[in-house]
Amino acid sequence: MARTRYVVAVALVLAVAGCSGDSSPLPAPTGPPTATATSPATKAPDTACNPRASLRPSGALPKPGRMPAGSWMAEIQKRGRLILGTSQDTLLFSSRNPFTGKVEGFDVDMGRQVAAAIFGNPDKIQIKVIGYDERVSAARDGSVDLVADTMTANCERWADVHFSTVYYEAGQKVLVSTDSPAKSIEDLGGKKVCAAAGSTSYDNIATVRSQPAPVAVAKPAFGDCLVAFQQNEVDAISTDDTILAGMAAQDPYAKVIGPKFTEEPYGMAMSQDHPEFTRFVNAVLERSRADGTWKATYEKWLGEFGPAPAPPAAEYR
Amino acid sequence: MSTALAARPQPGRQQPDTRLPGTQRPDAQVLRPERGGLFRRLRALRHTSPGRLQLALAALLTLGLLTGLVGGLTGYSAGSATSDLGNRAQPLLVEAEAIYSGLAEADTTAAQAFLAGGLEPAALTRRYDDALTRATTALASAARRTPEGSPAAASIEVLANGVARYAALVATARAVNRQGLPVGASYLSSASALNRDVLLPQAQALFRGAQDEVAGGYDDATGAGWRLLLTVLVAGLLAALLLTQAHLSLTTKRTFNVPLVGATVLTALLALGSLIVLSNQSTHLNRAGTTGSQPASALAEVRILVLRERGDEALTLAARGGGAAYDKDFEDARASVGTALGNEYLTTKARGAHQTYLETHETVRELDKNGDYDAAVKLAIGDQTTEAFETLTAEIATALEGRKAAFTAEIGTAGRGLGLLTVLVPLLALAVCVLAAAGIRARLEEYR
Repeated sequence: MARTRYVVAVALVLAVAGCSGDSSPLPAPTGPPTATATSPATKAPDTACNPRASLRPSGALPKPGRMPAGSWMAEIQKRGRLILGTSQDTLLFSSRNPFTGKVEGFDVDMGRQVAAAIFGNPDKIQIKVIGYDERVSAARDGSVDLVADTMTANCERWADVHFSTVYYEAGQKVLVSTDSPAKSIEDLGGKKVCAAAGSTSYDNIATVRSQPAPVAVAKPAFGDCLVAFQQNEVDAISTDDTILAGMAAQDPYAKVIGPKFTEEPYGMAMSQDHPEFTRFVNAVLERSRADGTWKATYEKWLGEFGPAPAPPAAEYR
Repeated sequence: MSTALAARPQPGRQQPDTRLPGTQRPDAQVLRPERGGLFRRLRALRHTSPGRLQLALAALLTLGLLTGLVGGLTGYSAGSATSDLGNRAQPLLVEAEAIYSGLAEADTTAAQAFLAGGLEPAALTRRYDDALTRATTALASAARRTPEGSPAAASIEVLANGVARYAALVATARAVNRQGLPVGASYLSSASALNRDVLLPQAQALFRGAQDEVAGGYDDATGAGWRLLLTVLVAGLLAALLLTQAHLSLTTKRTFNVPLVGATVLTALLALGSLIVLSNQSTHLNRAGTTGSQPASALAEVRILVLRERGDEALTLAARGGGAAYDKDFEDARASVGTALGNEYLTTKARGAHQTYLETHETVRELDKNGDYDAAVKLAIGDQTTEAFETLTAEIATALEGRKAAFTAEIGTAGRGLGLLTVLVPLLALAVCVLAAAGIRARLEEYR
């Protein structure tokens, strides 16, 4: 399909380094997600925890369809479907296929692996589209079982939700028009840079060290940022490199520039009320890394970026 | 302001004193006794027989001329207000409704096409195009009916600019969708946000403004002030004529003064004619309101409400679980539709179709809530639901057309005779004046 070929081409330019999703920095630049941040002053990074470290799986996975009584997995099994919270406009990770109307991508497939582990059938999944700014709350209040939506695991979010082990390593970059002379986000001082409201990408824009700082513009979703970019409402879009690659693939007059200026380890978010589910999801990821499912999923969605790297190593607390 | 006004008379009074001290003062002194003399002479007239007749003639002529003037103005203002109601206010209301429902339908259709996935079904594209054409046509003619600088003109300006942007966004969404790029969906949601957040509220403001204008149009057309003044003048004229004749038959040997009797008959005819024409106008205006514009406006609101339901349904599904706000809006609209559908001009078929639609909607929500998204979408845009909904909108449209026709007919009848009144009342009043003058002058001659 022509689209895939485009993705391939752009992705190659973007290169091997690139895959990622959401924006919230880990060790390096900065941190916390207050949407109003406009001062470039660096906030002290929240290093109170290791956001990559999740709960250790408790033994082997139970057989599909036979979830331990009293566990959250048994609840899900009783309900008959896993409810996955995600977006529908993040090409390659979770976007609506315009031909079929189905939401699909790397993140969705991660959710489907969990559904397969519970039911033995990856289709027993209900996709619920949530806003970027609802990802934490939706996981916390249990309106979805699992959030897989290019979501960066960071300490601030760990205070409200559990994250799985890291299933994807991303980093923030910036997308500009092909005729822009800018080499990195530092060259965009005073320009309007768009990001999804509630994403760590949005917060990171304000921390860029340039005089003046770029003007962060919030839109409900990254798809809306691309519309704003194409309508000349904003000068650039900044978020994780792979999301940007998906956008550049849709617009031949856009290019992704600069080095990754943040680290964005993606984790799936869940409620803290049932840690057994977090352990279960980690066990699913463990198996996925080991039996090649992760690699196959990577190649299916992101293979155009180059050969699949080794899956991110699991860290436990 | 008030100080300036208060200060103004002072210089005016001082000017003659300072500029023309010698000449001006004697003049003023001459004028004053002169005026006093006039009053005295008028008072003196009451004491002589010819003087009394002269006074009566002056009163009759004044009353007659005023009656002619006020009668003509009453006829004119009632006539122009009635035709303004029929030719401007009511059509503006109809157009405002067409703009609103056209935009709402375009938005609903675009959302459904989005839900359908893949290439937009041709039927939906056509319905979108039709809806948008209806809205823009109505917008163009509404623009001609709104005076510059009015709130309605401001709404129309926002709408005209917004519709162009809206159409461009939807066209981009379609083109992008054809290439299979997900950003097409984002274009569509931007378009929908523009429609719902900017265009529909403006269209609604225009609609409400037009409703107020129609209500005000009825008040203008039945202008109570003119009518009261005319009644007082005609009654005064009749009374003056009768009193003069009574006085004449007492003071002369003739029982009847033929020209004055003629004037009285003409005045009575004038009163009767005005009464018939104006009460005919009131009756038909009233009927135009109760059987025309009021139900038409209510039906227009019903159509807006049901379109809102349909749009909310599609948008709830398109938001995939993130559409709680649309679902709530659906419930709000549904609560209002319930009572609005009780409109006496709607058939049971319409109510039945809405019931069928609501039942399908319940099933759609049930399917969606239970995670069977695909089945929910299929049902929502499927033939069964579409048919029920289209039966409903077709019924509303028929009823609306009926009420518009009733309004036009009643307004036409209400305007009947007003033009004639405008011309005939002044002519009759002049004839009354001529007859009165002739009748009294014949008696005055006798005193020479």
